[in-house]
Amino acid sequence: MTEPTEVPPLRVDAGAPNDPLFIGIGELPSGKFPGRSFMRMLTEVAIRALRDANVKTTEVDTILLIPCLHSFDDQADLVFSRMVEELGLQGQAKTSFMVHSGGSTSDNAVRTASGLIASGHARTVLVLQAERWGSADLEEMVTMLTLNGIPQEWERASGMSFNAIGALIHERYMHDTGSTPEDMAGICVSLRKWAQLNPNAMFKDRELTVEKVLASKMICDPLHAMECPPLADGAAAFVMTSRENADGRVDKAVRVAGSGGCVSHYSIGQERNLSQLGWKTAAARAYAQSGWGPEDAQFGEIYDSYAAITAIGAEGLGLCPEGDAARWIASGATSPGGDFPLNTNGGLLSAGHTGVGGGTALLIEGVRQLMGKAESDRQIADARRAVIGGSGGSYMDAQVLLLEQVDLGETR
Amino acid sequence: MTSVTHEASLKEQFQSGLERGELLIQTCNNCGRPNMYPRHFCPFCQSDDLTFTPSGGHGVLHSYTVVRAVPPRGFEPDLPYALAVVKLDEGVQLAARLEPTSDGSWDGYACDAKITFSPGPSKHTGRGPVAWFRLADRS
Repeated sequence: MTEPTEVPPLRVDAGAPNDPLFIGIGELPSGKFPGRSFMRMLTEVAIRALRDANVKTTEVDTILLIPCLHSFDDQADLVFSRMVEELGLQGQAKTSFMVHSGGSTSDNAVRTASGLIASGHARTVLVLQAERWGSADLEEMVTMLTLNGIPQEWERASGMSFNAIGALIHERYMHDTGSTPEDMAGICVSLRKWAQLNPNAMFKDRELTVEKVLASKMICDPLHAMECPPLADGAAAFVMTSRENADGRVDKAVRVAGSGGCVSHYSIGQERNLSQLGWKTAAARAYAQSGWGPEDAQFGEIYDSYAAITAIGAEGLGLCPEGDAARWIASGATSPGGDFPLNTNGGLLSAGHTGVGGGTALLIEGVRQLMGKAESDRQIADARRAVIGGSGGSYMDAQVLLLEQVDLGETR
Repeated sequence: MTSVTHEASLKEQFQSGLERGELLIQTCNNCGRPNMYPRHFCPFCQSDDLTFTPSGGHGVLHSYTVVRAVPPRGFEPDLPYALAVVKLDEGVQLAARLEPTSDGSWDGYACDAKITFSPGPSKHTGRGPVAWFRLADRS
């Protein structure tokens, strides 16, 4: 394949009246909550985000839905504008529609919202996600999940599963980098330390050690049970609007300095380099737009449904030398108190895998940190720039958002 | 363009090859390049003049895993089983199953090992045939 021709990226200048900004977030705790209804979760998290943004419900003109993967009925409600009725916006909302690329949906929702806002097609966008992976009907959930990202004609008959896909990536990553089982388990331990500081995390109360991870049952060589993501219920939301509409609502907002993506395959059997995926290309595109690099960021939030995904992402994003990410993360460099905090909510592996929402939770954690709104023992001092990475399906894509803090208080 | 055949035919042609003990690779009669998985149009030149030809069956193991628990629904009787991403000498790649070695394990496999296409077990699973590979004979 030839290298794609790179076009110099356009950007909306910081401070421009149409610069799209995050101005509020909402989240519900992740875990198993069989008594928590899907619609209540969605509506409650919407209200939390709108209050956080200092935005009235009636000011929302566009709702973007991040899909759920537990129920065909609930999915249909999301697609067909139920949230407009739930929030009392019928006759008033301009549009409500779903964005879907699996685990990278939140990144693509940000791009969609940003484009709508910058071009004047939307003023205030509410992005909503809820999932019941922790307590939904297992049969229907498994059916929905297997329809996502494993090619029906070519790979399903082999017995391919998402754990197997994670294992194929782990095996090649360990082969190419010399990372040991202890290094890979150390990534899970680092994530757990962050989860212990996050009141919304599924495993906030359970300590983890490398020994415990490696003593857990082997699921797909070389992946142990504690290296597979725990399925969870959860909900997350965020509000974006233009800079001119944000003024006076909040002290600190967050802008998108750059974004970059690379779809490197659809079928896992067609990925040419399982230990690199699309991260280098996606990162180069994002940094070209932002004009700043990994050395300018204070922390990162990178999709981590399996440890190797985060390690490969961290390397592709230039956060550590190539091949060193597992050892780097396992050393504690990215744990609480470390040089470069990574996945500060505990990630999918310890905060909980809320389906498509796992990436949304990481994204809003990045926004939360940049707004200075994390709990005091989790808040990163002087967090001004963040690197966000997402991936969907069989890790078909690498999606990068480069976020930076905007101090609106100065101009109030 | 030639007349459009029914949509299931690519999968049927590929699978009937496997049933005959052949791993078929689609090659473009216009630009000469091979592609995998089978497509309706050549991904390089967009021609629809594509032909299936049997692979030599030789390649290397890009990665593999042994599934020991929590398989997709219906695969419980297969446990344990090994999945692989295989790079063929022809320059295309695919997901496949790996045969255990004579001791019943997959311990002899490693990334970049040379492997060979194998007709695989003949038992009918009701799921359609799958490409199988085994370690290449040492030469």
